[in-house]
Amino acid sequence: MMRGMKMTTENQTFAEKFDLLGCIQCGRCTGGCPVTVRTNLNVRRFVYDAYDEGLLEELARVTDIWDCTACHTCAVRCPKGLKPLEVLIGLRSLVVESGKTQPTVRDALESTFMEGNPWDKPRATRNDWMEGLDVRIAEPDQKVENLFFVCCTIAYDPRVQVTARNMVRLLKKAGVDYAFLGTDETCCGSEIFTLGEDGLFEMLIEDNTELLNEYRADRIVALSPHCFTTFNTHYPDLNKPVIHYTQLLAELLEQGKLVFEKGLHKKIVYHDPCYLGKQSGVFEEPRRVLQAIEGVELVEFNRNRERSLCCEGGGGKMWVESESKIERLAETRIKDAHALGADIVAAACPFCVLTLDDALKAEGFEEEMQVAEIMEILGELEEMQDNSSSAQEVED
Amino acid sequence: MKIFTCIKYVPDTSEAEVKLDSEGTGVDSSRFSFDINDADNYAVEESVLIKEKHDGDVTVVSIGPKNSDVMIRMAMAKGCDRAIRIEDERIAAHDPLMVAKVLAGAIKDQEFDLVFTGCMAEDYGQAATGVALAELLGVSHAAYVKKVEIEDGKVKAHRELEGGLREVVEISLPAVLTIQTGINEPRYAPIRGIRQAQKKELKVMNLDDLGIPEGEVNAEASRIVLEKLYIPVVESKAEIIEGEPEEKAEKLASILVKGGLV
Amino acid sequence: MGNVLVLAEHRQGELRDISIEMLALAPSVAEALGGEVMVLLLGSEVGPMAEKIAGHGVKVLVVDDPLFADYNSDKYQKVLSALIDDYKPKLVMMGQTAQGVDLAPALAVEKGLPFVPDIIGLEVEGGVIKATRQLYSGKVNAQVALKEADTGLVTVREAAFEAPDPSTAGAVEKIDSPLKEDLDYRKFVEYIEAEIGDVDITQSEILVGIGRGLKEDKNLPVAEALAEVIKADLCGSRAACDAGWLPDDRQVGTSGKTVQPKLYICMGISGAFQHIAGIKGAKTIVAINKDPNAPIFAEADYAIIDDLHKIVPQLTEKLKELKG
Repeated sequence: MMRGMKMTTENQTFAEKFDLLGCIQCGRCTGGCPVTVRTNLNVRRFVYDAYDEGLLEELARVTDIWDCTACHTCAVRCPKGLKPLEVLIGLRSLVVESGKTQPTVRDALESTFMEGNPWDKPRATRNDWMEGLDVRIAEPDQKVENLFFVCCTIAYDPRVQVTARNMVRLLKKAGVDYAFLGTDETCCGSEIFTLGEDGLFEMLIEDNTELLNEYRADRIVALSPHCFTTFNTHYPDLNKPVIHYTQLLAELLEQGKLVFEKGLHKKIVYHDPCYLGKQSGVFEEPRRVLQAIEGVELVEFNRNRERSLCCEGGGGKMWVESESKIERLAETRIKDAHALGADIVAAACPFCVLTLDDALKAEGFEEEMQVAEIMEILGELEEMQDNSSSAQEVED
Repeated sequence: MKIFTCIKYVPDTSEAEVKLDSEGTGVDSSRFSFDINDADNYAVEESVLIKEKHDGDVTVVSIGPKNSDVMIRMAMAKGCDRAIRIEDERIAAHDPLMVAKVLAGAIKDQEFDLVFTGCMAEDYGQAATGVALAELLGVSHAAYVKKVEIEDGKVKAHRELEGGLREVVEISLPAVLTIQTGINEPRYAPIRGIRQAQKKELKVMNLDDLGIPEGEVNAEASRIVLEKLYIPVVESKAEIIEGEPEEKAEKLASILVKGGLV
Repeated sequence: MGNVLVLAEHRQGELRDISIEMLALAPSVAEALGGEVMVLLLGSEVGPMAEKIAGHGVKVLVVDDPLFADYNSDKYQKVLSALIDDYKPKLVMMGQTAQGVDLAPALAVEKGLPFVPDIIGLEVEGGVIKATRQLYSGKVNAQVALKEADTGLVTVREAAFEAPDPSTAGAVEKIDSPLKEDLDYRKFVEYIEAEIGDVDITQSEILVGIGRGLKEDKNLPVAEALAEVIKADLCGSRAACDAGWLPDDRQVGTSGKTVQPKLYICMGISGAFQHIAGIKGAKTIVAINKDPNAPIFAEADYAIIDDLHKIVPQLTEKLKELKG
């Protein structure tokens, strides 16, 4: 099965690469791990066992390693500053390097290599979401304040394309200096990293750094927290800062450039995406945006901010199904929202929207509640209505 | 075990709208993604599995443009040892017999035990090249192969027939097998492997390099003429159920129940 | 003389449908070429089969010899090669079947014949034989002409033509086998029947079919829930079975099962011709697919153009209510 697996990477042993000797086996990683309620994953155990090089091959075959959602709770809680989840990713790498990945993972990786996105879509159709909108496309030699990075999922998945479409309208209305990348925009590699394809991730970092550095932009605005966090954590040579769009919106509100003319009388609970909140510390901006809408009653989950419950959309989980039949975390989240009497569960991440939306349908709450991207909520406000067919598709 | 595996770089048109190009003799491929032909991907995996089990080496042969080098490198990252890419505008690519002649020209003077092709290409769907190639090489063949067992200079090929039936045939090596999808689970070619495969030999050749006279494989030589392409009108006798998703579901449910269908 | 030679196909003692389907096409072509139709039947103890074919008003040439008990590409090719020399047919037709694809290309190479595989239409225009075939899974049609030659070869897609009803009685003529002794390049070993699982979909009254559009196996409950409510069995396209969503014995199509349910509801199946060939026996077909251009809609009686994930769960609920 695992022929040709590499035990060490670039002269480092597995234990050195992940600083396994730094672990004091306190167990806070496993204690905080949200997926333990529905799977057998015990990350502390993997950190312990992976000391033994001779065990790596066997560990890599344990399907539990694919249960990790890369929410980073373990890393946040580790008193020694380690990233236990990366041990799991390291084990995934052994599988990927052997070529014996699940077919769904294989197809996502191949698609990213060939077409620059994990969704098996042609690169040529990456900007089809722009249809009917007059979108400014960036030119390398033209100066621009905000260069937008859309994200593969937002670009291709009709459910969340509305995030980008509404953003274009909002930018025009607020008179923001912006541009979007052409079809050259390529996957940031967030999920490629967590799926364990190091080589491909390195290639994406190199190519994206070169591409993004060419543009004369003051900063990059990422629509997805996954791209946002990945650029800030894994791209040391990017020559411009990267912010998340909710940070831009909070800034525009503060400057008075963005005013919501219409109110929305709804009870909204905001779900902190792991990649925006616990991984990047952006907690307040999305809340400020929602609170700026007249009539909105913002309520909080019991588990909010750093303690936010993961939706299980990250860590490459869009391509790997857990064997567990126990309730999905997103379903727990939806039930919690329902108990709060929320009208809308707001999120600022395409994966959260997709997983929570699925869970909402699974729970049968479609009549009473709605899952919405923040940009989708803003689209409900005046002069932001999307009348195109593609928007109608995402509304139902 | 000396193996040759023939692969093709094809557009993925499963979800895309296909339009003809301005001349009407080809399709506009500007919005397609391209990749290895599905059945050929299984053929690559089968050849590598056999190489791993019986030792030997695998040479990839492909007729296609420079863009297809990435597909060839992926095959080499999976375990194929070297490759020949044939690029020549003069080949009558619409005629499987001409394509087979070119492939035969690349293989015939070399030692080989097995030649694999995919059983059918997704673009032209003729399912003819592999069997034509066998005849040109003067060796036995089996088409639509879903399982390969090799022993004592013979190969037992399980051919997939209609109705879920399989036919087992025994043929002597050397032989050409056209591989059906689903015969195995193609592996992933990690990017590090693809980078390492840059070191493997990829020979780019044209008809002159192969010593194939143009007049044997061009449109003149072909005994068929591709006269025109056109987009077929899909005739629908279906009653299309319209409305919002919920309405559609409700109308259909009522048709099924009232019509006594369920 | 422009005769058309049709190769009949049979297996395990049964004449295959394609043999008769080709007779929907051959007579008009033969007439346009100024010749007649001859059907070649190679087999062992195939008298009744020959009579059945002859009942379609055609001449049947029979080679009845134990050497031809089972199909063998080498032997078939030898015989056809010899008979093409003897009878000089203007056109040879056989099925684009597991047998035809295994035989026709080699024969075309050996005899240097103009060859068009997998045709769905055939006509003669000014003495030129022109075939229609499909490219890109049926999204584009091509008209291909056979250059002038003594003999041309085409293979005909299964289920592309409706088998004609029997007409007048034609003649059966036994001919000597051009093959005097067995060949040993290729040996027939055995047939292996598909494993029948808990369900035999060829006997199912109602089938729910899934295809690539289901996206992933975690969506299988969407189809299962519908199947449960209407007491249907699940089946799938090749894509669905290749992906392991369903066992191989649930595959419908030319490489799987041919089914004949009274109701077939398919979701996320675009309708590749291989699949359509397997559902021609279905009485009522309901197709749910988001691609308005999906070929499945040409086969359907009822069509919903939408995302199956939006439609099917609601359909299941409505059916539950209506059926109480």
